[in-house]
Amino acid sequence: MQETEQEKECELRRLEGCIEAHPDDPSLRFELGVLLWEEWDAKEKAAEQFVVAAKLKPEIEKGGAFRYLGIYYAGLDSQSHSQRALKCFQKAVSLNPDDSLSGEALCDLLDQQGKESLEVAVCREASQKSPRAFWAFQRLGYLLLHQNKCSEAVHGLQHAIRGYPTSPHLWEALGLAYQRLGRFTAALKSYGRAIELEGTRIFALLESGNIFLMLGSFRQGVEAFQQALEISPKSVSAHYGLASGLLCLAKECNNLGAYRWGATVLEEASKVAWMCTQLAGNMSSIWKLHGDIQLTYAKCYPWMEEDHSLEFDVEAFDNSILSWKHTCCLTAKTAKCSYQRALHLSPWQANIYADIAVTSDLVDSFDNSTGHELSAWQPSEKMALGALLLEGDNSEFWVALGCLSDHNALKQHALIRGLHLNVSLAVAWAYLGKLYRKQGEKQFARQAFDCARSIDPSLALPWAGMSADFHARESAAGEAYESCLRAVQILPLAEFQMGLAKLALGSGNLSSSQVFGAIRQAMQRAPHYPECHNLTGLVYEAQSNYQSAAASYRLARCAITNLSGCGRKSHMTDISINLARSLSRAGNALDALQECEDLKKEGLLDVEGLQIYAFSLWQLGKTELALSVARNLAVSVSTMEQTSAAASVVFICRFLYHISGLDSAINSILKMPKQLFQSSKISFIVSAIHALDRSNRLESVVSSSRYYLKSHEEITGMHFLIALGKLIKHGSEHRLGYQSGIDHLRKALHMYPNSSLLRNLLACLLLCSEEWNDTHIATRCCDIDTTKPSKGGLKSAYEILGAGAVACYAVGNCSPKFSYPTCTYQCLNEPGAIQQLQKCLRREPWNQNIRYLLVLNLLQKAREERFPCHLCIILERLISVALSDEVYHNTGMSYEYKKFQLLLCASEICLQRGNLTGCINHAKNASSIMLPDDYLFFAHLLLLRAYALECDTVNLQKEYIRCLELKTDHHIGWICLKFIEYRYELQSDLDILESSFKECSKERMNSWNMWRALFILVQGLISIWSQDIISAEQFFAQACSLAGDESSLLLCHGATCMELSRQGCSSQFLSLAVRSLTKAQEGPLIPLPIVSALLAQAAGSLGSKEKWEKNLRLEWPTWPQEMRPAELFFQMHLLARQTKASSDSSRVEFCQSPEKWVLRAIHTNPSCMRYWKVLQKLVE
Amino acid sequence: MKLAGLKSIEDAHEESVWAVTWVPSTETRPALLLTGSLDETVRLWQPDELVNRGKMTGHCLGVASVAAHPSGHIAASASLDSFVRVFDVDSNNTIASLEAPPSEVWQLRFNPQGTMLAVAGGGSASVKIWDTTTWNLVATLSIPRPEGTKPTDKSSSKKFVLSVAWSPDGRRIACGSMDGTVSVFDADRGKFLHHLEGHFMPVRSLVFSPVEPRLLFTGSDDTHVHMYDAEGKTLVGAMSGHASWVLSVDVSTDGAALATGSSDRTVRLWDINMRGAVQTMSNHTDQVWGVAFRPGGMPGRLASVSDDKSISLYDYS
Repeated sequence: MQETEQEKECELRRLEGCIEAHPDDPSLRFELGVLLWEEWDAKEKAAEQFVVAAKLKPEIEKGGAFRYLGIYYAGLDSQSHSQRALKCFQKAVSLNPDDSLSGEALCDLLDQQGKESLEVAVCREASQKSPRAFWAFQRLGYLLLHQNKCSEAVHGLQHAIRGYPTSPHLWEALGLAYQRLGRFTAALKSYGRAIELEGTRIFALLESGNIFLMLGSFRQGVEAFQQALEISPKSVSAHYGLASGLLCLAKECNNLGAYRWGATVLEEASKVAWMCTQLAGNMSSIWKLHGDIQLTYAKCYPWMEEDHSLEFDVEAFDNSILSWKHTCCLTAKTAKCSYQRALHLSPWQANIYADIAVTSDLVDSFDNSTGHELSAWQPSEKMALGALLLEGDNSEFWVALGCLSDHNALKQHALIRGLHLNVSLAVAWAYLGKLYRKQGEKQFARQAFDCARSIDPSLALPWAGMSADFHARESAAGEAYESCLRAVQILPLAEFQMGLAKLALGSGNLSSSQVFGAIRQAMQRAPHYPECHNLTGLVYEAQSNYQSAAASYRLARCAITNLSGCGRKSHMTDISINLARSLSRAGNALDALQECEDLKKEGLLDVEGLQIYAFSLWQLGKTELALSVARNLAVSVSTMEQTSAAASVVFICRFLYHISGLDSAINSILKMPKQLFQSSKISFIVSAIHALDRSNRLESVVSSSRYYLKSHEEITGMHFLIALGKLIKHGSEHRLGYQSGIDHLRKALHMYPNSSLLRNLLACLLLCSEEWNDTHIATRCCDIDTTKPSKGGLKSAYEILGAGAVACYAVGNCSPKFSYPTCTYQCLNEPGAIQQLQKCLRREPWNQNIRYLLVLNLLQKAREERFPCHLCIILERLISVALSDEVYHNTGMSYEYKKFQLLLCASEICLQRGNLTGCINHAKNASSIMLPDDYLFFAHLLLLRAYALECDTVNLQKEYIRCLELKTDHHIGWICLKFIEYRYELQSDLDILESSFKECSKERMNSWNMWRALFILVQGLISIWSQDIISAEQFFAQACSLAGDESSLLLCHGATCMELSRQGCSSQFLSLAVRSLTKAQEGPLIPLPIVSALLAQAAGSLGSKEKWEKNLRLEWPTWPQEMRPAELFFQMHLLARQTKASSDSSRVEFCQSPEKWVLRAIHTNPSCMRYWKVLQKLVE
Repeated sequence: MKLAGLKSIEDAHEESVWAVTWVPSTETRPALLLTGSLDETVRLWQPDELVNRGKMTGHCLGVASVAAHPSGHIAASASLDSFVRVFDVDSNNTIASLEAPPSEVWQLRFNPQGTMLAVAGGGSASVKIWDTTTWNLVATLSIPRPEGTKPTDKSSSKKFVLSVAWSPDGRRIACGSMDGTVSVFDADRGKFLHHLEGHFMPVRSLVFSPVEPRLLFTGSDDTHVHMYDAEGKTLVGAMSGHASWVLSVDVSTDGAALATGSSDRTVRLWDINMRGAVQTMSNHTDQVWGVAFRPGGMPGRLASVSDDKSISLYDYS
């Protein structure tokens, strides 16, 4: 410490010494001055030195001396000194414009003296001199901003920010400058930066909040204000901003129709605004805001519908409406109070008068108790006039008066005055239009609306007006609906929304989402209008939601009882009929009947009512009464207009058929006058009844009525019906006349090739007819377009596909790895049915039918792939869930049958996985289902197989006998049984089996030969197993002749002939073999293995080496790579050796040497001595 | 706002592509696209060139839904036999296998916090919640039966739950059913709150707005897209334009745009404020099963997958 003291001392001495030596050296003097100033705090002495230094060399240290002097003088408190300080600083700044200290001090001094323009000049000069004089830019920016010269200020501030990039003040100022220039996004960015630098910049927060509100980003605005409130919880502006932000947000919600959302936001806004009034109760604008919030709340507070309970409570409904009205009214009153307070504080503000006027009007509309006289002025009118007295030239107040007044003349006058003042006031035109419409002057009304719309197309009222106009003209229902939809989208007003629903009823848009949303929103704001509930009910009905529809109609009826006025009765009747209809459609016949009877008592049943009445009676089993009602209906048919008469006739025909049967229906139809049958609907009904009638009594009626079928859909529908009719008329007792149906459909399809209805029916009939190979045609003739929703028809395309694929044994297998399909129908190249079914399932995951078909197809696939483990696991899971599904607890043939099939699948999977008890249990379950013996046969067949595996001979025999007793109509069952019978040496009379097989339906003519061929094939195989090759050959030959060119049969025959010739039988067998095998080789799409090898052998035996080579080469590609047997390699070795000389090296046998071929043969089957011997020879 | 096609891969899978989601980026890699298909595989693609980053097998039937954990490390896929496989995205190691009776798993969604996996429970008429640390079933949110129906009624099959969505704050779960009802649940208390009415055909996809937890968007077979106030049970907007079923909906991260995929083979972009379609992409040749906006910052990306076996990537700006 002392040392430093000493050093200071030394330094002083040294400098003083130097100055004595060189008294004219300014830098020495300056140095001394600084030393004295900084180290010794001897400011006066230092100042002396600076004065001298400055005199000697003013520009020393860039005016540093002047700066010190300035500071010195500024410190001395007196007028003259400060003047001197000013001069010194000026000098310092002029010498060094970058000197921020002097500059700031100079400006402060000027500021104190109020010389603002001088200050600006100083800063401007400094900033012009040096771009680094950031202080000057900053000061200039602030000053210019203060003087509201914003664009210049922006320039200064931007420059200053380069020098002080982390100054929140600068950013804030820049933000303000931008804001004043109207560059709001730039302002937001600057404010954002200021807040980023210093989180508590309340000004920046408030202002950015205001900008957000102005830009319509209410949510961000609210967030900014909330942040401001956290910093300063008592800030009035933050409260005000937050409340107005929330108000804007709520208005946005309300414009969407989200009233509940709006209401919750408004509740919060109201709280904030209330807080604000507590903080500053003397500001009229705050009270106005509070009033605005309450008014908006009163206008959006939604009526909450209690959850529909089945027990409908009239009292609760009335109460809920009353309390809703009460709440609305109360908030409106609060709003009125707040506005009055605001007016009280600043009575010169005309717009508050208008606000009060609007609010009083609203209060009156909720409080319909006021029985006012027409002569007296309404408070709302009076207040509107008050506003006008203050600002008579404000057109909007004239419009307000025009809306609020009760006197039409005054209304018209006010609106026209408003338009005088401002001719482009769209609202005024719109209201004028409304007024004219009310007075019935349509031409004027339309003109006014057109004016309004051309000025401001975003105004809802003109669109609604136009819609009403269109509606009146009756020709343009669609346009009326569109216009009204526009109005509703712009402004979700309950009246517009109800109008929309009404128009939708006329134009057939009732099930549209827009209408549903609109009417549900209208419900929240107009629950006291019965029309609203009635329309809601109609919309629900259009969506097939009859339960809810009925509930709505009940509400409507309830609301109408609270309403008085003309036309109540007819409305009541309409609603009651609506209610009865929806109840009936919902399946609640009892209540529907009750409604109808109530109506009947009052004598109000109309045509529709009568139909519902009759239908409900019939549902409840009161057929006699129902028939008498139907008779009443029939009596009135003659007086009805065309469409409702047709509907009634259709109803009566169907009704008669259901109650009194076919004959009675036909007799009634014959009795009816012919002119009634002039409609396509009736034509369908009559044709349907005709289809069921074998004696063709309705022939003439049907043919005449068909004249009225016009559209393609109707005509194809009729062909559909005719085809079904042919099934019945040309069928026998046990079997429908499929062939005639198919023939008709083929013809019809030729005319209407696009009709998927006809295609699907044709496919369905082809499948049902169970003819050989028709399954392939079936899947090809229906189009499976997954993007089109399936509709109508007996079976959908996917069902046909799934069923067809199951019926064909080659399920989606393209590689001949597992089997060699010999099917000549080219279904192999189609995309796999399993994939198609999965696509369907992806679209309709709830559809049990697709799941069922998927299970069956997967089982086919598993069977083809020899039951691989992973497929079995999936199948087990799928089946177990499918079986537990409640659908299969239904009784009904088709469900039972599917359950049966699923059980058989489960049983089969168990069998394949070695779970015999599971297999037996499932099969036993299946056999206990109530189904025709025809099907049950297969359950017992499975049991038979399971017992056979268990070696349970007693049960085996029992099940065998049971199978023979049950019998089946399916040939394949008998063929399987035949196999098992031989395999397990079951005792029975052979003839039973064979005669049963022959008995089983021969009606499928085309298939019969094929099945017989198969049966004979089995007999042939049995002969082979019992070493009786000669008779086997006879069987096979017979089978081949029956089945035509079926390659696998030909192969069997060929192979047997070869064997016979090998055993030394006559040589004709060899040529027989060659014939069969050659046919077998030519037949299938995927070449069968072995055929060519055998053919080669035969050719070899006949001595034709060339043919031997050719066929052997053909053999090679028929085998999939991983399945090639040892013998094939060996044969290839022979081929390679024989044709060594040949030049064509691309042939398969040359890909390796004969030794290699033999090695591969040995590798595949090392136990065959023949190969080893050949190898030995080759090596030698 | 506008979509511009960036890249399309024909035959990205061997069969129809049914599901798509974005796996968020991690420290070591960017966000990836995850697709599931009828060909029983799940594949990973790296944008913008859609480079195939891996193929995951392990399903025996078509993959109907995929979901990605918000961390970006874990993903889940579900096939038609209701087998859910949870796996590590980068290593393809199986983390867990969740089994449910077939038909009881449909759409999957992780909650935004990543603690739960919600599964649309198909025929069980419920949403199942699985814990993502223990992979145990922790809750079953059942849709209550309408009053007056007996448990023996067939109505439960009507409530087949197809789709599920979490609100961005994780407090609400919404699910869409076959009969068109949308049900809203309180996720914390596992309680049913209310239905949202308006659709009358299956609701196959729904999504909450990422910026406004009350707003829910739903797409349905009735060809409409609805906008609901999910808390106030109000239908606040309906957007029409598709000619067939709406199969998938997703909202952009800024909450301003909605993308839909439909059976009419188009992808549409909707301006939510205008409540109207602004663009229609018809580059797919079969129905579009999935659309997904990439989560996180710019530039915006939208992916779509279709029955025509292709994947398309668009730039959204």
